[in-house]
Amino acid sequence: MKKAKFILPVLICFLGWFSCKKEISIAQEGNLVPKTVEDDKTLPAISLNGTLLHAESFGSPDSAMVVVLHGGPGSDYRYLLNCKEFANQGYYLVFYDQRGSGLSKRHSKSSYSIQVMLDDLAAVISHYRKSTSQKVFLLGHSWGAMLATAYINKFPAAIDGAILAEPGGFIWEDIEDYVSRSRDIKITSETMSDLLYPDQFITGREDEHAILDYKYSLLGSFDDSKDSPIGNEGPLPFWRAGAIVNQALFEIGDKEKPNWTTHLQQFTTRVLFVYSERNRAYGLAHAQKVSSAYPHAELFKVYGAGHDMLSFPTGWNNFFPVGLNYLNSLK
Amino acid sequence: MQRNIILIAFAVTLMQPAKLLSQEINWFKLQKDQKHLINVNAGLDYGISFGARYGYHLRSTIPILLIADFSIPSGENLVDDFKTSVGGYINLYQADHFQFSAKILGVFRRFENSYARLLNFGSDMGVAAGYYKRKWFVAGEAGFDKAIVTHFKHSAIYKQNFPSVQDGWYEPATGGNFYYGLQAGLTLKRNDIYLKAGKILTQDFSTTPLVPFHLQVGYNIWLN
Repeated sequence: MKKAKFILPVLICFLGWFSCKKEISIAQEGNLVPKTVEDDKTLPAISLNGTLLHAESFGSPDSAMVVVLHGGPGSDYRYLLNCKEFANQGYYLVFYDQRGSGLSKRHSKSSYSIQVMLDDLAAVISHYRKSTSQKVFLLGHSWGAMLATAYINKFPAAIDGAILAEPGGFIWEDIEDYVSRSRDIKITSETMSDLLYPDQFITGREDEHAILDYKYSLLGSFDDSKDSPIGNEGPLPFWRAGAIVNQALFEIGDKEKPNWTTHLQQFTTRVLFVYSERNRAYGLAHAQKVSSAYPHAELFKVYGAGHDMLSFPTGWNNFFPVGLNYLNSLK
Repeated sequence: MQRNIILIAFAVTLMQPAKLLSQEINWFKLQKDQKHLINVNAGLDYGISFGARYGYHLRSTIPILLIADFSIPSGENLVDDFKTSVGGYINLYQADHFQFSAKILGVFRRFENSYARLLNFGSDMGVAAGYYKRKWFVAGEAGFDKAIVTHFKHSAIYKQNFPSVQDGWYEPATGGNFYYGLQAGLTLKRNDIYLKAGKILTQDFSTTPLVPFHLQVGYNIWLN
């Protein structure tokens, strides 16, 4: 009885304190993740191909165009903004968050396909290109380099050059191999616990993008953990992860087993193929294997950097002069 | 309002643990003089996890165990993530060797990584039905683990990416998972060893946890 007399006031105070606190919804856009261009009209956006993409351009619109393709799938272009430096060297830089990624509009899982991602890229190029004589280069990182290659494979004559940074592969078998190695962490490690433990705190339906994107963002801590083989220097900057597009495109890959090398022999232009020193999951052998699909691939190893070599100072400073020389040679 | 109702329900659960009972035990073999249960376990519970449990056998007409449970996932940092539960198991129905039991647990858990710290109050309710002999048992189990209300606090790294992120208590419920599976055990005098395994589904049935399975190996010892 004495215990009950003590517990009851404590309980009432506890509940009272809770009642006075502001209630916040996990599903509300803008609480745990930023709003997309659909809900925040102040963001720079372009409307095309039935979607709304977060996009920006830098440099003179008449200069040779470099379209930057981020990785993931489901990341965003914030971690590639170092590439703006090419705009100071006479290039027209175009950045966009791919459909369902970053701050771009979300779509239902069933609407995604490789084809629609290629159509978006074609529409972005068309949107920014001022004339048919304007040269177009693609700069893709990771999944972005795979998307660039899928585009070149489909339209070999449409692109004037490409910088490809550590694409997992251009055929599904190579992609699976790389993804498997890049996620090779001890099951008893802190990193593994950080990946798996949140599943009991947060769940969401497939159309609850704010919830799923936030949960997917939490997994991003893996990239800079000491257990990760990909060798990054620290956490990557990002706006908002795209959970559903990531899941959808991986499932499509697993089902369709894509091969984006069937017409690459027609692309006779030299390609700059970049890989990093510290990514233990990649390395020279994988770089040679993947890049061999192109008739003329020039390999460049970025020392002092991991998978996201374009995002951190050492990697960027080592890469930039080589990337600039490559673009200048084809300008 | 809804949160308050949930919290009251949670508090009532904590204050009236006499409605609860443990399931990974041999109810058939449970003697009235066995008062204290000590359990250690390891398995797969949203990651590799290790746990310990204390149970107190109430003197009542139907077998009831009050339960306090603590578990941590593996990893170098042993204090950043954990799960605690208090509540009980009750043996609701017995017909010879067939036993039907239920559990109601109030849950408090914590998660932290370089982006965020999450504190959650939740509940774990389940039922088990099986065949219990003096030296062994086998049962099916199903339950629902609800993350009722969660506090989010974000690190400077996350706030660099998204300065407007809202820290605080989030509701309605931030998550929930169904689970089901089988458990089997051997009993020797005052000792049980058991294995249970099963599948986890999210409450919406459209998504799955990264590892949609649970597994636990455990050892019980009963003391007077």
